[in-house]
Amino acid sequence: MTAIEIKHISKRYGKIRALDDISLKVDAGEIFGLIGPDGAGKTTLFRIMTTLMLPDSGSGTVCGLDIVKDYAGLRRIIGYMPGRFSLYQDLSVKENMDYFATLFGTTVRENYGTIKEIYSQIEPFADRRAGKLSGGMKQKLALCCALVHKPSVLFLDEPTTGVDAVSRKDFWNMLFRIKASGVTIFVSTPYMDEAARCDRLALIRDGSIIGTGTPSEIVSGFPFRLLSVRGSRMYRLLKELRNIPGVISCFSFGDSHHVTYDPAVTDRVRILARLSDAGFGDCTAMDIMPCIEDCFMWLSGRRDVPTAGQDGLRA
Amino acid sequence: MWKYLLEKEFKQFFRDPGLPRMALMFPVLMMLVFPFAVSMEIRNINLAVVDGSRSLESSRLIEECISSGYFRLVEVCDSPEEAMRLMDDNDADAIITIGPDFAADVATGAGFPVGIKVNTVNGTRGSIGAQYLQACIRMYLQERNAGAAGMDSVTGTAASSAPVIDVSEKYYFNAYLDYKLFMIPALIVIGITMITAFLPALNIVSEKETGTIEQINVTPVSKTAFIICKMIPYWAISFFVLTACLLIAWAVFGYTCRGNLLWLYLYTTLDIIVMAGLGLLISNYSSNAQQAMFVIWFFAVIFMLMSGIFTPIASMPDWAQAITYFNPMRYYADAMRAVYLKGSSPLEIWYDAAGLAAIGIAMVSWAIASYRKSSD
Repeated sequence: MTAIEIKHISKRYGKIRALDDISLKVDAGEIFGLIGPDGAGKTTLFRIMTTLMLPDSGSGTVCGLDIVKDYAGLRRIIGYMPGRFSLYQDLSVKENMDYFATLFGTTVRENYGTIKEIYSQIEPFADRRAGKLSGGMKQKLALCCALVHKPSVLFLDEPTTGVDAVSRKDFWNMLFRIKASGVTIFVSTPYMDEAARCDRLALIRDGSIIGTGTPSEIVSGFPFRLLSVRGSRMYRLLKELRNIPGVISCFSFGDSHHVTYDPAVTDRVRILARLSDAGFGDCTAMDIMPCIEDCFMWLSGRRDVPTAGQDGLRA
Repeated sequence: MWKYLLEKEFKQFFRDPGLPRMALMFPVLMMLVFPFAVSMEIRNINLAVVDGSRSLESSRLIEECISSGYFRLVEVCDSPEEAMRLMDDNDADAIITIGPDFAADVATGAGFPVGIKVNTVNGTRGSIGAQYLQACIRMYLQERNAGAAGMDSVTGTAASSAPVIDVSEKYYFNAYLDYKLFMIPALIVIGITMITAFLPALNIVSEKETGTIEQINVTPVSKTAFIICKMIPYWAISFFVLTACLLIAWAVFGYTCRGNLLWLYLYTTLDIIVMAGLGLLISNYSSNAQQAMFVIWFFAVIFMLMSGIFTPIASMPDWAQAITYFNPMRYYADAMRAVYLKGSSPLEIWYDAAGLAAIGIAMVSWAIASYRKSSD
């Protein structure tokens, strides 16, 4: 069953093209990840799907309801958690919960089962003002408020941006549990490691979808091989690697360089031999599995757009 | 749901560190401090006298001026030059020059050789000072004529030979030209406008800034309900402020409203509708509090200066008068003064209600139209 289907959606802000002919299909009960750097158009797409904004062209449905015509009905069955904490900081945890429950015509008690697991973690602070909570607590509260009316589809716009690694892991565990209760989750993130945890992905870049599929499909679609190269003079090594025929690209990746090469032209032994000729005799090279980030970099480059480099992506 | 929306707004209002205290202090400050601060009454005008006559008559004239309480005698000079020097040194604000033949001329009715010079560096102080001086001279003449008539009747001779022009003035509605009484309805107007137009606008913009309005927009709550619930607390506060101001004016100054209190509340309600539209309009077109503040400041200044609250509209140039027709505060201030000081009813000041209603309809429809658009 299809939970979300959008067709040929475009949106411009004046001269800037935010979204260009976006089409997506999300199945019910899956975690669908929208992966892309800052400014790719993720939030715009969220705002259109959550009826906060009208697309310039294109159409879409969420749970069979049109995102333009049936906006009123749609708002009853979706939960939206924006990237920025946007609850009332001067109301307490409990008051925020009650408030949003009332706005959806329900009560916290009625849906306590849905949110119990998350809410129980912040319940000891029920009388504390939301503004005085820690970052992780705020995030849990926001998630509770988005879930309080038992939505069928949950939209999470960069929920883990600015959250520490442990809390991020916690958060994803919560998402799996929410998914298990039958909620479709549409989540965006700039973190590539989180992408691998989604059931299916769409890679977005400069307002266009550059690839969709399950994480393994995306990885297996990568036509090249990847080599992790280490040496002593890393910067000079990087320059040298980029000059080797058959090397598609080379980026520094932590304490090593990730070299993408075309297996039809060269291989690991030939690259090492070239390096040794050039005076980098102490190099070691290891074939590695490409990850989502490598695929993303390759897919971005293939579209021949000016490279934004890796700055926009947080590995 | 409405109940809960309202409850939340009131909760937030009372939780704010400043707002509740401000709502309480505002009427007190407005009624107890501002009437004195904005007073246009001029006192302690330094008066220099050049008395060429040095007669009983001339001393009576000087006496009349000093006893009015508006003037402070600085010096009696011998020559006009000496008096002028005092004015140049800023020691004298006004000079009254009495000619040498004053006593004789006044007695025969041949003339009235008195000159007035006024320092008008401060225009208001100068022109009002000149008016006061003229009033004093008129008073002196009246008393003199009365005295002469009395004497005539005693001696039984024919009535005074000199024709006497008697200008008598009677002030209606504010008999003692009490500036405080004049300003109190106007200060209420300013206060209510600030509370009902600008505070809700800032409140809505701050929800925009924190992103909470987005969170509300994805709920099934209608925007109309949300906005109206946002404004209701400020309406309640403005009626509270109106009532408090009227009570303070009565308790402290002993002023009461001459007209039906109901009309004050009626015109206030009309003004609130206009201001609600304006506030919403401002919040629609500004995306942060700083922008909103600037627009508010712009409107607040224009509204106040072009409303007739401080300066009469009738004395503005025609083009400026034309602008005041678009100023809701003009109608509201006029109505409040008319009801409070004159006891008018809406039958007499229907045009104020019509003006407010017309601006209100325009403002609210524009606000709703632009709100719909911005909600896309």
